[in-house]
Amino acid sequence: MRALKIYAALFAQMLKVRLAYRGDFLADLFATALGGLSSLFFVLLFFVPVDSLAGWKRDEVLLIAGLSSMSYGLFATVSWNLFEFGDRYIIEGRFDRVLLRPISTFAQILCDQFRIPVLAETVIGAGVVATAMHRLGIGFGALEWLFVAVTVACGALLYVFVFTILASVSFHFEDRVGVAPPVFNVIPFGRWPQEIFPWPIRTLLRWVIPFGFVAYYPSTALLGRGSLKGMAALSPLVTLAFGVLAALCWRLGVRKYESTGS
Amino acid sequence: MPAVIVENLEKEFRRFRRREGLAGAFKDLFQRDYEVLRAVDGVSFSIERGERIGYIGPNGAGKSTTIKMLTGILTPSGGRIESLGLSPHKQRKQYVRRIGVVFGQRTQLWWDLAVVESFKLLLQIYEVEKRAGEARLAKLRELLALDEFLHIPVRKLSLGQRMRADLAASLLHGPELLFLDEPTIGLDLVAKDAIRALLKRVNDEFGTTILLTTHDLRDIEALAERVMVIDGGKIVWDGRLEALRDEAGEEATAEIELLEPAALPELQRLLPQVRFEQENPLHLRARFSKRAIPAAELLSRLVGALQVADIALPEPSIEEVIRRIYEKAGKSAMVAAQKQGVAR
Repeated sequence: MRALKIYAALFAQMLKVRLAYRGDFLADLFATALGGLSSLFFVLLFFVPVDSLAGWKRDEVLLIAGLSSMSYGLFATVSWNLFEFGDRYIIEGRFDRVLLRPISTFAQILCDQFRIPVLAETVIGAGVVATAMHRLGIGFGALEWLFVAVTVACGALLYVFVFTILASVSFHFEDRVGVAPPVFNVIPFGRWPQEIFPWPIRTLLRWVIPFGFVAYYPSTALLGRGSLKGMAALSPLVTLAFGVLAALCWRLGVRKYESTGS
Repeated sequence: MPAVIVENLEKEFRRFRRREGLAGAFKDLFQRDYEVLRAVDGVSFSIERGERIGYIGPNGAGKSTTIKMLTGILTPSGGRIESLGLSPHKQRKQYVRRIGVVFGQRTQLWWDLAVVESFKLLLQIYEVEKRAGEARLAKLRELLALDEFLHIPVRKLSLGQRMRADLAASLLHGPELLFLDEPTIGLDLVAKDAIRALLKRVNDEFGTTILLTTHDLRDIEALAERVMVIDGGKIVWDGRLEALRDEAGEEATAEIELLEPAALPELQRLLPQVRFEQENPLHLRARFSKRAIPAAELLSRLVGALQVADIALPEPSIEEVIRRIYEKAGKSAMVAAQKQGVAR
């Protein structure tokens, strides 16, 4: 509990810093909103000539895309340092300072630099999800609310854990870019019904980089469709498993750093 | 019981040696050569509570590596550290709560936060009891004259202000041990003095043990009671500052300006206990030990034997002694470097 209070204070201070850069804040807000809306329009545009895509109706696809956006927006608030970890902390040596403070190294990295405007993506996603659910005639009972909340939280955490695993690779190989960019480019694949992809990509999204669990499987459960709706129940477990893996990778990395450095 | 015990401390780095050219870079993909670098090579010492130690050595001697091991940032490759009864790298969180660290080259503060916000955050991170924290901050504000820049973001501070802020930050949680890696680097004389005065006061008032590295020997003269010299990863000298001073006092130099060129071999025969160096035909330097020949006697015999225009006896400095220690150690370090094999 005490630790949480410290992290909250750290988080609040860093938030204040971001707000102080007003131009930066507004530019980021604008870019995020534009990005979020354009990917939404892309889905709408796609359905102008066709009625359905691999058996999925427009509103159903919007539900997947909206859920995915909600998770992504939450993740993007802290993703900055994970993407730049190798560059900022290992190569430029900021990790020394992190090790000198009596709190968790991982929490310090997450709190140290984050973006608040990207939450616009979560807000837009929420709007899309609510509209899609309404048009699809899915009720708005407590159960549905809970389901969406858990799904979004699990999705955001899954992103965090996957990119933590990739960031911890930087402890072992000094490289400015790191291995995250190709995986980052996989995120949009999770916004579509997986039936449209060939089997190698489906397998990838299910078992290797499991972004299918962020929005696609939960949507099948919410819509009560197909044979895959049971997979949604696995979503929290997949997140948990990646959390454990991320913690192990991080620890291993920190130990490696402590014994090399320069 | 000593505050810090270090026994046979070692640190090896494996460094990837790149081949030259494009063909070499391609070859590197498949087969890599590593060289093993022993940055710290069997260092032992102990530090008592309340000591002020200057830790010096030429660049690349192993100073920073030692400090990084003492602060728990790096894990030793061999040997043992017991500091405040803890193992720095194994009990990191518990340990760093009780130490303060300042790196002159890099700030520990948050670049974008106002100084006072950084301090408040640190007080929370270190879980300093509220009233004690406020009292300490008030004291540091006064001692380091922090008020003039308390509300300015760290990135806008001058180097001298930043250093004062960093120093205050390292002391906020009342550390028992304070490590400073080149705390005066790049500072002007006034700022250096302020920092030296503060460190001395902190040591006097709170009994904080201080270990600092520096290249400015005036830091050592103003602050250190004890000096450790490291070179080639080994401690080559460890003793009281007075011992260094005595050595410096004993070894003296005379600068001699001549009217006529002197015959050096003859002079050397006349005064075998003195080492002569010839800068140019009209400028000699005589190095001698005051025990072997008193300065007055040397002068009178020089004046008798030579056409002297001027003689100067520069104040002997610890700088000279340390230069000699470095030189002596440099030779043995070169031999050690040759012994290091290339591992694959």
